[in-house]
Amino acid sequence: MASGTLYTYPGNFRAYKAQVAAQYSGAQLNVVSDPPAFKLGETNKTPEFLKKFPVGKVPAFEGKDGTCLFESNAIAYYLGNDQLRGTSPKSAALVQQWVNFADSEILPAACTWVYPTLGIMQYNKGNTDQAKEAIKKVLTVLNEYLKTRTFLVDERVSLADISVACNLLLPYQQVLEPAFRQPFVNVNRWFLTCVNQPQFKAVFGVVKLCDKMAQFDAKKFAELAPKKDKGGKKEKQPQQPKQEKKKEKKQKEEKEVDEADDVPKQPKAVDPFAALSKSAFNMDEFKRTYSNKDTLTEALPYFWEHFDKEGYSLWYSEYLYQSDLNMIFMTCNLVGGMFQRLEKLKKNAFANVCIFGEDKNNQIAGVWLMRGQELVFPLSADWQIDYESYSWRKLDPDSEETKLLVREFWSEEGDFKIMGSRKFNQGKCFK
Amino acid sequence: MAVGVEEEVKSLANFLGSPAYKVTTQGEIKVPQLHTGNGKTLTGLATISKFLARSSPSGGAKLLGTTPEDQAEIAQWLEYRVTIVDRSVEKKDAQAMLKELNSYLLDKVYFLGFHFSLADLIMYHGLHPVMCRLSFFEKQQYQNVSRWFDQVQHYPGVQQHLPQLVFLRNTLYTSSDH
Repeated sequence: MASGTLYTYPGNFRAYKAQVAAQYSGAQLNVVSDPPAFKLGETNKTPEFLKKFPVGKVPAFEGKDGTCLFESNAIAYYLGNDQLRGTSPKSAALVQQWVNFADSEILPAACTWVYPTLGIMQYNKGNTDQAKEAIKKVLTVLNEYLKTRTFLVDERVSLADISVACNLLLPYQQVLEPAFRQPFVNVNRWFLTCVNQPQFKAVFGVVKLCDKMAQFDAKKFAELAPKKDKGGKKEKQPQQPKQEKKKEKKQKEEKEVDEADDVPKQPKAVDPFAALSKSAFNMDEFKRTYSNKDTLTEALPYFWEHFDKEGYSLWYSEYLYQSDLNMIFMTCNLVGGMFQRLEKLKKNAFANVCIFGEDKNNQIAGVWLMRGQELVFPLSADWQIDYESYSWRKLDPDSEETKLLVREFWSEEGDFKIMGSRKFNQGKCFK
Repeated sequence: MAVGVEEEVKSLANFLGSPAYKVTTQGEIKVPQLHTGNGKTLTGLATISKFLARSSPSGGAKLLGTTPEDQAEIAQWLEYRVTIVDRSVEKKDAQAMLKELNSYLLDKVYFLGFHFSLADLIMYHGLHPVMCRLSFFEKQQYQNVSRWFDQVQHYPGVQQHLPQLVFLRNTLYTSSDH
């Protein structure tokens, strides 16, 4: 029986094919996926690795007898047994049919749809829509085929089931939300049966189907993308911001073109702060300092040192309808909801909003830092919902009162004389 | 009780690797009895099948379910077999039963969902004579039962003395033909 080492990275669904096949056949498989034994992008680029596996990709298999294999389907075939490969020429051919179907019909569309939601690929609406249609078509074919069948070939699990299930794993986990998958009852039954077999479970763990279709993870994409640039020469760095901006512009344009068909038409997203001249104050750097360092001894001194009076303004706000506030947790929800609606403002504002008092007698007040010299809320429809329920007083950045308020509210410590008899209960930070 | 219940008990015992116990039937409706050899006699299919699985030398005990939920469901299907399947002699009773099972099996491969259990074994034996009498068109009407039945009869060691039934993979008529 085959035995050897499988090189891969953790959670690689391609390697899963080989691992599940080994579970069924009892082949001894030593999976190497973690540094220092295997580091993706380094180990597989070394001359020794490339000598054995010229493509330099994983999964890659090295048998105890020296057999070297790349391509996941070949490895799964090698590690499998007769039952998995198909016992008659006809069954074996059918197994091949579905293994190829999985790679040519399912995989490209699945990756196009799922990868942007994991932040490992840029989102393109046109491509994603095409991929969704392609997946729908694939699922329709499978659904019809599985109406009269328990497994894809004969009455047992084969490499066909393993390949198709592995390629559908990410879609089922990320994007095939209940409403989308509901019409494909036969595929769902088959998929759940596969992943609940002990041999699959040993490799996949417990598979949780997606509750809500994942969307493009721009944040993660931004995090992952610069990593690639790290390898580049340093000289290039000064140019990068420009390039990135260009890219962004391009993407924006693409997006606008893509969305042109959507009904009803969305007004073009314009940066509401475009008219303001650049500020030297680095909001992100300040927020990082605030989050990671002590507020009183580090973050506040940093703030006052770098604060740009022209580019930013400070505001004190209080809730106008104090008598309507009831339980503390309800007040918390009110503030939390406001923050959610202001999500897009985070680049250009910072605040710590505090709740004072107790159940049935409490009040909300906060100190805000925002871009420009006017209240920013009227600039976007999304931001206008809450601000009218608050009183807004612009603070003179040079006065002692402002210094005190900023210190008390942002550090959540102090007498809070401004709040009278209500004692500080909790603070919520908008950052 | 269906004809051939002695045969069924024997094939169960065989599947589970049990010794060749003496099997008889009792009364007009042929309730099976199993003589365990140490003077004890077990009566009734549910009791006997549970005993055979639990005492199975080939690991048949895992067919009894590992969680309390699974065990409860198996008990339910054993009861269903004896009280519903074996008493659905009239065609219209059989049809009502098949309709019910068909909707139950829509999203399941086995009676417990993902794993073969004693429930499938007992239901397979109980439904064999019923499925035998169905035309291809009727089998198609109860597609989910048919798919389940075909899966179970191909499960290694299950079929034993029973003839293999044929199921079509292709749809005979589409609804628009009517």
